[in-house]
Amino acid sequence: MITIKNLHKQFGDLEVLKGIDLEIKAGEVICVIGPSGSGKSTVLRCINRLETPTSGTVIVDGHDIMDPRTDINYVRTEAGMVFQQFNLFPHMSVLENVTLGPLKVRKIKPEDARHLGYDLLAKVGLAAKAENYPDQLSGGQKQRVAIARALALQPKVILFDEPTSALDPELVGEVLEVMKKLAAEGMTMVVVTHEMGFAREVADRVIFIDQGVIQEEGPPHEFFTNPRHPRLRDFLGKVVHKCADD
Amino acid sequence: MAFQFQPHIVVETLPMLMRGVWYTVYLTVGGLFFGFLLGVTAGLMKLARPVLARKLSGMYVELIRGTPMLVQAMFLYYGVPMAVGLRIPPLVAGIIVIAVNSGAYIAEIVRGAIQSINIGQTEAGRSIGLTRAQTMRYIIWPQAFRRMIPPLGNQFIISLKDTSLLMVIGVGELLRTGQEIVAVNFRAFEVYMAVAIVYLAMTMSIAKALRMLEHRLTTRTR
Repeated sequence: MITIKNLHKQFGDLEVLKGIDLEIKAGEVICVIGPSGSGKSTVLRCINRLETPTSGTVIVDGHDIMDPRTDINYVRTEAGMVFQQFNLFPHMSVLENVTLGPLKVRKIKPEDARHLGYDLLAKVGLAAKAENYPDQLSGGQKQRVAIARALALQPKVILFDEPTSALDPELVGEVLEVMKKLAAEGMTMVVVTHEMGFAREVADRVIFIDQGVIQEEGPPHEFFTNPRHPRLRDFLGKVVHKCADD
Repeated sequence: MAFQFQPHIVVETLPMLMRGVWYTVYLTVGGLFFGFLLGVTAGLMKLARPVLARKLSGMYVELIRGTPMLVQAMFLYYGVPMAVGLRIPPLVAGIIVIAVNSGAYIAEIVRGAIQSINIGQTEAGRSIGLTRAQTMRYIIWPQAFRRMIPPLGNQFIISLKDTSLLMVIGVGELLRTGQEIVAVNFRAFEVYMAVAIVYLAMTMSIAKALRMLEHRLTTRTR
């Protein structure tokens, strides 16, 4: 589904990614964890080329995103994205947010888009809010709309960039529930997250990125109970401690 | 003999100014129509990828913003015909000057408003497969346009008042009409007061219209 080989990304003098290799199979749920500034979001943003990799190979569903002949707009419909800050379109209703892509990119008929929009909003539990505007929603509701918007193009994979990090703690659950449902339906997902509980429960594989490289990866059970890399042990120690306090 | 204010002259002057009002309206509406098109084009060019487009737009803004409009008007009306041997009618020259002048300021308003929209909006648009142009049209522009309204209102009012400078190239606009009346009755105080009242009425109408537009755009989307 996604193949990443020797991915490097440099911002000016700062080398954020120093050679990432990752293979993601269809239907897999991958959780990416690591300290802030480690480059985990950059990996995600290189997959749909919101950031252009400095070097390396990224292949998404057979499309080489570094090839200038690749239609990147098409690849982006195959790889939906959910952002930390939701990035809903504030001047459009919830329904319009969801149907914009199908209407303008897939060019489907307005009544079909409407049905699709309502179906997806029902799926994230927000059909009743279809005619509302984003600033009338809570953070959790906004993120669920953003997930519906990503789903509207029927992507083959969804990239989640810290989807719950901007939420009040009591709103995190509703977003994770929707994500769990997607995972159970077999959606391929790459999730950058600090939610260790979610990673442990839902992920097929957990990836630990630090200082621009993948330091450790494995199935969650092994990963969390028996971390080998000292940096991961250190990181988990801090994060788990924090969770126990909450 | 002491000066004596005669209010009835102010009132009597107002209808005599109507012909000038029409010219001021032509200059303002025509000038701002083309000025808006020019400003949007130059503003978008400033944000475009090709270096040449950005440079051209930057030079245009610098050149116009850095020289007085009065000089621009006299150069276009008296200077350019000497070089090309073709006289431009005063009203046309006036509209060109207002358009080119307001366009430079509107370019900066457009650029600023577009840049003030969070980059996340562009990323979200591109992430659902929209092209750059579609993202601008459906996502960035509608939000940026709303932010442009207050500074655009400012510019519209400035341009309307600046049409008075065009009396130097012989456009029979409001101020020139007033001046012609003064030449006959010598009542400068009352006549220019009447002129000022008419300008004020026009600028207040613009302000009111833009407030209504802003209100409509904000309430529709809450």
